[in-house]
Amino acid sequence: MAFDTTDVILSLIKIVVVLLALLNVTPIMVWVERRGSALIQDRPGPNRVGPLGLFQSIADALKFILKEDIIPAGAHKWIYTLAPAFGLLPALTTIAVVPWGRPFLLEEREMFGRVLFAGGRWFEPVIANVNVGILIVFALASLGVYGIVAAGWASNNKFSMFGAIRASAQMISYELSLALSAISVLLAAGSLRLTDVVWQQTGYFRLFDAIPVPAWNVFSPGMWLAFVVFVVSAFAETNRLPFDFAEAEAELVAGYHTEYSSMKFALFFMAEYMAMATMAALIVTLFLGGWDIPYYDEPATFLGFLLSVVAFVVKVACILFVFVWVRWTIPRLKYDILMRLGWKVFLPLAFINILIVAVFIALRWL
Amino acid sequence: MIPIEWFLILSAILFAIGVCGVLTRKNGITIFMSIELMINAVNLTFVAYAKQFGQLHGQIFVFFIMAIAAAEAAVGLAIFISLFHHRQTIDVDEANLMHW
Amino acid sequence: MLSVAQGFRKMLEFIVFFFFAAVAVVFALVVILHRNAVVGALSLVASLFALAVMYVLLDATFLAALQVIVYAGAIMVLFLFVIMLLNLQHIAESNTRPIQQFLGYFTSAAFAAAMIYYISKYAVLSALPPSRFNTTARMIGERLFEAYIFPFEMVSILLLAAIVGALLLSGRAAGHRAETGEELSQ
Repeated sequence: MAFDTTDVILSLIKIVVVLLALLNVTPIMVWVERRGSALIQDRPGPNRVGPLGLFQSIADALKFILKEDIIPAGAHKWIYTLAPAFGLLPALTTIAVVPWGRPFLLEEREMFGRVLFAGGRWFEPVIANVNVGILIVFALASLGVYGIVAAGWASNNKFSMFGAIRASAQMISYELSLALSAISVLLAAGSLRLTDVVWQQTGYFRLFDAIPVPAWNVFSPGMWLAFVVFVVSAFAETNRLPFDFAEAEAELVAGYHTEYSSMKFALFFMAEYMAMATMAALIVTLFLGGWDIPYYDEPATFLGFLLSVVAFVVKVACILFVFVWVRWTIPRLKYDILMRLGWKVFLPLAFINILIVAVFIALRWL
Repeated sequence: MIPIEWFLILSAILFAIGVCGVLTRKNGITIFMSIELMINAVNLTFVAYAKQFGQLHGQIFVFFIMAIAAAEAAVGLAIFISLFHHRQTIDVDEANLMHW
Repeated sequence: MLSVAQGFRKMLEFIVFFFFAAVAVVFALVVILHRNAVVGALSLVASLFALAVMYVLLDATFLAALQVIVYAGAIMVLFLFVIMLLNLQHIAESNTRPIQQFLGYFTSAAFAAAMIYYISKYAVLSALPPSRFNTTARMIGERLFEAYIFPFEMVSILLLAAIVGALLLSGRAAGHRAETGEELSQ
């Protein structure tokens, strides 16, 4: 494997770009959420700070920084302080294995007095193109539970504790159906590498041998069950309404972060939105063709790369809007219903879908 | 390339720490966690040898050990819950009857 | 230029190894020394995560991911659940007898010293040619479903038995307590 200074620099650039994009998701999503909820509930929403209230998020962030940072007397200080970081870690790292654009060829050129990209070099727009990509995603996502559990336990507050126990039980249960529905996709792609999953979805298949349809997984009938299960599990996994029992404010004050204030609370808030963005990116990668633009062959140049990145971002934004839309449309379920749904409906459905996909593959329909 | 012995030494240290935990603690859950630590030390040895000999068997063994550790954790914790419900303690010295 | 990068990579590997080896050992010590079981369980998570990094260094990426999913994601969450549900962190642990403590520490230290001594003395393994192999999930899967198919099926039966056993044990305990609730309260 070639490995030189250029690789290190390219990797650093990729990390910086992705991190900046991910960090900016939170303020943008807060604005979208507040304006979106206002739109759905037929009220103006925040519209005073800047045009269309766009600077509201900056004002919010400033408020968080200026608030007093309180550590309750009965709390376990160390774990109480570390918990928000535990929560943020998986949210920040999972995105590393998700491809976000079409690879393109960097041509050899003279710059800064030395030859760069000798013999041309492929630029892979993914931070870590590892051969167990999807497993890394699930491994890091499963670490997200610890932030919540640690916060709930260290706060020494019964509402925090209930929120933490509910959240972790929910996340563990739905992780199963999430992983199992992803297995259907991996079966079709024949690889755990997410770039392979995306490449498999480029191109077309012909409906009735006539109408070309993009070969995205969501369009193939064998994947419909998996898509539904995956999206619903993604809602549960990110603790979003209608499954937000971790912080059901009517029952648990604010769940696991009841006692948190100031920047520590802001970190939980950021982690939630980043996890949401990562989940959206994952849905797009697994089912909606990743960076693939339908009915258009992206050239392997910088322009094609830019177009594919735009396509990816647009798809992720659409999924994120669906998250907001669902939150303000569907009321919260009951906790026992959620668990029953997870274990008795979605888990069997995910298993059935694996069987369906296996039959499809055996018959060479996929 | 990191010499294989370093991994073996790390594994030996972790194993010894696990042994120490089992020998000196009385809290059943902590003893259980020490056993998990020992299992993991052994896993590390398996993976290190697999790498050194360029063979997969070591990794397959680790796969099986993980599956069995999961089963063991489920049953072991269930036993502790049962013990706690009967004795209100998980001190291993209190669990001195074969039947209750 | 290439050699500089290679050297950089080698140095990075060593830094990663020592950092995560230190993490694994320190947090393992916290597990056995700290009185609070929740802190112990969280430290064990950190230690097991460091071991996953070791697996990556040993070219076993599939096992590294599995380690985090199975141990950190499932087993340790189970531990934390049990500790929190039983509220064990408030129960004071009685001390073991001093002689037992001394023997425990002494034996394990002696054991570690002996192991390290013999591993470094008989360093025959380094004489073997180092093999550069990267295991993919496909390789492990093929091996599992061909040579190791029988153990694989046995493990699945074992897991089923464990589920049933765990349910029976914890479920019967709750039922039993409900029946003999008066006895316990006296």
